Amino acid sequence: MSTVASTSSTAESRPGDRSFRVWIVLLVLGLALGLGAWVYQLSQGLVVTNMRNPMMWGLYITLFMYFVGLSAGGLIVASAGRLFGATRLKPIVRIAVLEAMVAVMIAALLLLPDIGRPDRAWHLLRYAHFTSPLIWDLTIVTVYFLISATYVWVYTRADLARRGSRLALGTGASLADAQRDDRLKGILAAVGLPAAILLHSITAWIFGLQIARGFWYSAIMAPLFIASALVSGTGLMILLALIVRRAGKISFKDDLISYLGGMLAVFVAVEGFLVFSEMLTAAYPGAGFEADPARRLLTGPYAGFFWFEVIVGLAIPFVLLAWRRLRADPRWVAAASVLVVAGILIHRVNIVLNGLSYSTVPYPPGVSIGTAQPVGTTSFALSYFYHPSLVEYLVAGGVICFGALVFTIAARKLPLRESDHAQFPNPTS
Amino acid sequence: MSDKVSPIEALSSASRAYGEIDPVSDHPRWGMVVDQERCIGCWSCCVICKSENDVPLGMWWNRIDTVGDALDTPRRVQGELEMEWMPLACQHCENPACTKVCPVAATYPREDGVVMQDAERCIGCRFCMVACPYGVRVFNWGAAERPTDFDTGMVPPRPVGTMEKCTFCVHRLADGQIPSCVWSCPAQARIFGDLNDPDSRVSRLIRERGGEQLLEERGTEPRVYYLPPRRKRGLET
Repeated sequence: MSTVASTSSTAESRPGDRSFRVWIVLLVLGLALGLGAWVYQLSQGLVVTNMRNPMMWGLYITLFMYFVGLSAGGLIVASAGRLFGATRLKPIVRIAVLEAMVAVMIAALLLLPDIGRPDRAWHLLRYAHFTSPLIWDLTIVTVYFLISATYVWVYTRADLARRGSRLALGTGASLADAQRDDRLKGILAAVGLPAAILLHSITAWIFGLQIARGFWYSAIMAPLFIASALVSGTGLMILLALIVRRAGKISFKDDLISYLGGMLAVFVAVEGFLVFSEMLTAAYPGAGFEADPARRLLTGPYAGFFWFEVIVGLAIPFVLLAWRRLRADPRWVAAASVLVVAGILIHRVNIVLNGLSYSTVPYPPGVSIGTAQPVGTTSFALSYFYHPSLVEYLVAGGVICFGALVFTIAARKLPLRESDHAQFPNPTS
Repeated sequence: MSDKVSPIEALSSASRAYGEIDPVSDHPRWGMVVDQERCIGCWSCCVICKSENDVPLGMWWNRIDTVGDALDTPRRVQGELEMEWMPLACQHCENPACTKVCPVAATYPREDGVVMQDAERCIGCRFCMVACPYGVRVFNWGAAERPTDFDTGMVPPRPVGTMEKCTFCVHRLADGQIPSCVWSCPAQARIFGDLNDPDSRVSRLIRERGGEQLLEERGTEPRVYYLPPRRKRGLET
């Protein structure tokens, strides 16, 4: 049933180079467009986005949340493999921690265009106010980035040393080095897993601690964020593992994908249960603080998004993944992964849109929009249907292209293939 | 002192005596009472707020909500029509949701309870706006546009990319004068004073008329109290 990937033996084959170059050019182009759009935004202010007072957070924060979640896959695979003895995950550990590092970097970078005064970002250090969940989150994002970067280094440094790379930072590939690596990996796993749990919880608490927002103010937010991070993170992990295997940089058997698919099915089921529990609790009273936003999702203006999230993002992939025969085929697992990665993105959109786009004091005229409106129109809004502006798409796209560029180059240059040397170090090399 | 002129002081008939704050305790905690019995929904307070504080077009620190579903339209209560307005600006909460979440403490409660906003420290993350249950914070999305080609009022304009909001006219408080919205109300529906003094007008009105806090159940403890109307407006269905 399981077959060794056919491309695994001829790594760095020439025919791939052309498409690789095209890919790099596209990413650089996206990055350049994003930078240009950001410079434009800096010159004009956030007025060039479609965010306004009645909808003060938009695409940037949504994607921040999303990429924080996407980073989950990496450390879970690495730490769980270590802590719970899931040794079969070994061939993809390096790609996993690299993915975690890049995803959390993208998330952090997305905050920069979101703030109105990036020139004052240093205030966050100088005047850090520790009751703010944003400060907690910046702290854990930094810690998580450092942990995953250390992870990448520890897992690849022996091979780097064997290549004589300066990135090995003077370490060698001796038996003693390997033993130290082993200790370090144990420590990283023990630190990495709680850090990952904290990362998703704290990101959830940015939203879940807000008494002003009925749909957010809920103790389920942290578990929900952990579950949705596991879903999207594992989904992306599967897709990246398949892509990088096709590029010939790593090799593993198909049953690893089935195994990950089985894990993903469990995560999807937990996510579905938490979403159901959240919606039932919010909607049951029938009206008010929590029920109104719930109704907007179930039958109101955001119903399309919500049911996409539930049906396309959870139900269909669950069937694909739970069905043993389909799960055995990496193509079906990949299809399910695409669906959950898209579904969780919509889940993030639902959280932000539904949490923010309605005035918390429901009386007309509502909140002042914040920019001069044409004569004869109102400058207030009770609700605000937000969609990102072109500038927002370009800036966010630029950040993502930058992340993809870092990932692509790192995946190309770093030794991602699990080497036999790791178990049997050669003292002479 | 800037070369700017307060819209109040610019009026030749303006009486400083009318604007004087009632005698206060040693450690005042400023509060406001809004008498919904008296409010006629004229927006005078909102307009003077804009000129006093140099608030650009499209932004309001102060607004008049109509309780119900439509602006300036009565609602039906137990078969009868009722209409009441709810002037709404920063509630200067005792337990503000906004100050807690600010990552750089650019918004903070002052000793006298006024919730301040430091435009020079603000990084523009808008977390305070997300956290505020009253929707009274406004953000400088782009370059300020004003109906005049000059700045108005007695406070410096705020830079692009920062938050701003009602300050209880702290510059007037420093001068012993009541906020401009209170000064300008033609129906005297706004009363300003010291909540720490049990005999102040605000304290007495809150006690005697049953002052209510907006969204009291959220526990933010606003220092703005609303006095509900005592009688029906006499409209028949």
